[in-house]
Amino acid sequence: MKITWQWLNEYIDLSDLTPQQVAKDLTNAGIPVEWMEQVSPEVQGVLVGYVTAIAKHPEADRLRVCTVDVGYDEQLQIVCGAQNVDAGQKVPVAVHGSMLPGGKIKKAKLRGVESNGMICSAGELGLDVKMLPKEQTQGIFVLPSGAPIGESIGAYLGLDDTVMELELTPNRSDCLSLYGVANEVAAIYGKKVKMPVVDTMQLQSNDQTQQKLFVELATPKCAYYCGQVVSGLALAPSPLWMQMRLLAVGMRPINNLVDITNYVMLEWGQPLHAFDYGVIEDQTIIVRQAFDDEAIITLDDQSRVVQPETIMITDRHKNLGLAGVMGGQNSEVTANTTSVVIESAIFDPIATRKTAKALNLRSEASSRFEKGIDPAVTEVALSRAAFLMIAYAHGQIASEVVRVVAKEGLMTPTSITVHVSHVARLLGFTIEQAEMLTLCARLGFAVKVMDDEKIEVSVPTRRPDITREADMIEEFARLVGYDKIPTTTMKGALTAGGLTKKQKIERNLRDYLIDLGLHEVWTYSLTKPDVMAPLGYAQDHPLRQFGTLLNPLSEDRIALRTHMLPSLLEVAMYNRNRNQESIRLFEFGTVFLPKSLPMVEQPGEQYRLTGLMSGTIAPTHPHHKERMVDFYDVAGLVQAVFVKLGFEPKEWIVTKSEEPFYHPHQCAKMTVEGNEIAHFGRINKQVVEKYDLADTYYFELDLERIIQIVKDRLRVKELPKHPSADRDLAFVVERDLPVSSLLALTSKEAGEHLESVTVFDVYTGEKVAHEQKSVALHFVFRAVDHTLSEREIQDAIDRIMSAVTTTFGATLRE
Amino acid sequence: MIERLQAIEKIAKEKLQASVTGAELEAWRVDFLGKKGELSSALRAMGSLPAEERPKIGQVVNTIRTTLEEAFESYKTKLETQWQKAKEESEKVDITLSPRLPFLGTMHPLQRVIRRIEDIFIGFGFTVERGPHVETDHFNFEMLNLPKDHPARDMQDTFYFHEEMLMRTHTSPMQARTMQQRAPHVPLRILVPGRVYRRDDDDATHSHEFTQIEGLVVDYGISMSDLKGVLLTFAKELFGEQQEIRLRPSFFPFTEPSAEMDVRCIYCGGEGCSTCKHTGWIEILGCGMVHPSVLTMNGYTDGDVTGFAFGMGVERIAMLLYGITDIRQFYTNDVRLLQQFIAVAR
Ligand SMILES: [Zn+2]
Repeated sequence: MKITWQWLNEYIDLSDLTPQQVAKDLTNAGIPVEWMEQVSPEVQGVLVGYVTAIAKHPEADRLRVCTVDVGYDEQLQIVCGAQNVDAGQKVPVAVHGSMLPGGKIKKAKLRGVESNGMICSAGELGLDVKMLPKEQTQGIFVLPSGAPIGESIGAYLGLDDTVMELELTPNRSDCLSLYGVANEVAAIYGKKVKMPVVDTMQLQSNDQTQQKLFVELATPKCAYYCGQVVSGLALAPSPLWMQMRLLAVGMRPINNLVDITNYVMLEWGQPLHAFDYGVIEDQTIIVRQAFDDEAIITLDDQSRVVQPETIMITDRHKNLGLAGVMGGQNSEVTANTTSVVIESAIFDPIATRKTAKALNLRSEASSRFEKGIDPAVTEVALSRAAFLMIAYAHGQIASEVVRVVAKEGLMTPTSITVHVSHVARLLGFTIEQAEMLTLCARLGFAVKVMDDEKIEVSVPTRRPDITREADMIEEFARLVGYDKIPTTTMKGALTAGGLTKKQKIERNLRDYLIDLGLHEVWTYSLTKPDVMAPLGYAQDHPLRQFGTLLNPLSEDRIALRTHMLPSLLEVAMYNRNRNQESIRLFEFGTVFLPKSLPMVEQPGEQYRLTGLMSGTIAPTHPHHKERMVDFYDVAGLVQAVFVKLGFEPKEWIVTKSEEPFYHPHQCAKMTVEGNEIAHFGRINKQVVEKYDLADTYYFELDLERIIQIVKDRLRVKELPKHPSADRDLAFVVERDLPVSSLLALTSKEAGEHLESVTVFDVYTGEKVAHEQKSVALHFVFRAVDHTLSEREIQDAIDRIMSAVTTTFGATLRE
Repeated sequence: MIERLQAIEKIAKEKLQASVTGAELEAWRVDFLGKKGELSSALRAMGSLPAEERPKIGQVVNTIRTTLEEAFESYKTKLETQWQKAKEESEKVDITLSPRLPFLGTMHPLQRVIRRIEDIFIGFGFTVERGPHVETDHFNFEMLNLPKDHPARDMQDTFYFHEEMLMRTHTSPMQARTMQQRAPHVPLRILVPGRVYRRDDDDATHSHEFTQIEGLVVDYGISMSDLKGVLLTFAKELFGEQQEIRLRPSFFPFTEPSAEMDVRCIYCGGEGCSTCKHTGWIEILGCGMVHPSVLTMNGYTDGDVTGFAFGMGVERIAMLLYGITDIRQFYTNDVRLLQQFIAVAR
């Protein structure tokens, strides 16, 4: 909402204040002034002049030599190139020494003739020429004949006025008018508002031009309708001062009738519409709901099909306009119009909003209807417009005001009881009852003292945002000033606060991965389904069923991701393209698995810890060779995470992963107690090539499951009291045999005294047969309560030997 | 004989000084001090001398031996010192050459801000909650006093999957969810960090996905001065002990009274600069007293129970704290930016 300082001052005397001060105080009262600036501060010393004579330039056909009276003792000779300049015109004159947006004006000789200044065009004065009617922007800017000679053009055109843009919150629709802002400013300073006196415009008793107007409300969606016929009209530009005001607040001047309806809307907050009375059949306006698939040609010449919730303005035979949104082309005011119906009405906010939204026709008028209109000004605005049409459009009143009130209690103020103790309780400090009465008076709200504890406030209809006690408490607080609210410490029971087990684990994991040298990344949840195509899941796989937005904004963000990998690959590609040799990333992210499509219920949201490594494993250094990341790096990282979480290696089982995006022979999954908790491996070639990456490794941890099975306590094992016996055995087995199977079997068979078994060498080559490998294991045996005898050790080794021989056909390597 | 011994001593000393390597030194020791060395053979030759001369010569031999042994030890020490130095010299490294750094990972800047803020509010007795990103119209709007077609819904342009199913536009639905879960229990003190979604075109200051932190306190006797007290402490913890705050009236459908909180501009200290649009203040969060309808709708029907709530944008705070000027950079994850967050500094 834009207003101007001088305009506001017509309704409230702020001569003791500066615009800057008022802007600051409005902001502190909850009406933020987004910006303020003078209309055209660069125009200085330009005067209203009168062209007394005009002659041809002796040397140049296109130039005129004008004699101009600017109120000086002597008239000025000014050379002018505009074709529309003529004797008898009032024009803006930039005299010697004055300033325009284009710079300082000096005396000059033009083709040998002295020129003591410049006659200005609208553009040269810094006016927004795109917003002005074309005829006012071509050539010099011709002023009305009543413009006083010698007056500063800045003052005359309001170029010295200050425009303020108010950033209104949705509840303060009352400030969508000068009237509302004046009331707000009055409440801040305890001043009085003086709006123009508006009487109902009466029909002269002897008037021969009387017309009839009937209004029928056939829908409950119109709470109040006022209409009046004005005839004898002559379409013309509106007065310059009105054009300048509209221009200053960003509205395009069009003609006197349209400008008057806009001006009154800005003044009172009530949108108005003028219909050509001549096209209304049977002198009857009917307000009704639209029919199914009803079509209308609106005044922008578009044919539009409307929905049943739309409110239509019609006569008995045809529709005339979309109520509150846009008039129809057939009833538009044209140069031939002599009579109009001024409509001032209250249409249902929701219906107006839906229509405006559906047709993409949001306007100053529709947005006011959406937020609610003060019924107390509906008729005032109508009369004000009629008055201005008489004053500026040759109008005559041609009918009585027709009023139809459909909603009972529309004009009744809201009554609210405010308790002194409730104010103190909610704000944390006391506002005395006497002060509340003063504040109500400043707001212009009637108030009644009930007893020492209670007052009853009568809130006028212009403040529909105030409906209950808390709203009044806010009014008091903001007028007293939020800076008066003290700071206190919360009382009440102590609460421990803190993180849940799950949140603590997440913090620990995040810190650990950072310590391992990974960068945490954050990527978007919204993506496009195409990114899942290369991963190799079948079309009907659950991971390729997406929750898809009804109203996406860009092609790249139309659906919720079901997998983290594409997001991480994108980050890796972005960084690879910026010459990052070594990429190590992780993300805690959510994936969304729909339970139904379309998504009528909330999807499963799964929190995942995922990571990616690509490129070199170590930063390049002069003293060691760089190495590319490999499978065992990612495997080590994942297993370190599980050790960090308190799992022991013997608790998990590593088997091949079935995820299709991995290299078939370099991927694994980890299972604990039958729950798959992680998978990791090398991304297959087809996928990494899509992202232009080198060998890339990925891991994914199922946090929800991990959190369920993770151990809470840490218990130490007693340190051994007896010596261990260490034995090395190398087995020759089939090359494809997973070492984990060998380890599992030997651990199982070795008996209670086996403390650990580890792999210390895996050999393939000429010393063993093709298709075979040698796996060297290091066994540590120990008993808790005695030193093991040679016999006990040999028994264990025999058991191991016999098991691996029978199960895997292994032989001992010599 | 004595002359001969003295000649040996002289030669020995000369030869010792000529020895450079370990092998030469050992050869010298064998030659002069060994069992078959010069002195030993001189001693053996003493047998041919008259008995009365023997003690005297013996004494001379022992003196020379001691002298030579001492000379040997001291010369050996000197050489060993030289060798040690030479070896160290050969092991010289360029200490200015880049070290073999371990990988240094980083926490995402938004996570860093969230953790700091979580820690501040945990200190006030808050617990941390998370909620679903895909929300129902019911919790995202209706239970927060935003009925269908309320004009305030325009403040938050929404992504929809279905009339009733949407991407949450704020973390506030967790206010409603938590109240419904816990009512009528008090006190309630929760902090909800999380991602939210708005139908905005991405540019330097807008992101269709961003992060909010929501706070809610519900208890008997909670007042707006308590809210101001908590927020002032929070601002001081986050921006420094000198920080001041200012509350301005505002509007949110789910609070009444409502306020915006500004902090003194951290760039100009309140003097006025381009970041604070020359006001000296920067808007940080929205807050207010929980709207009475929100309390009753979500199960707190006792009129004596009040509450406050606040919500802030994490990106905005991170941009202020770290001087990041484009919100999209939080989601681009350029490692060159992330690497700047290695330091543990705030
Ligand atoms: Zn500043």
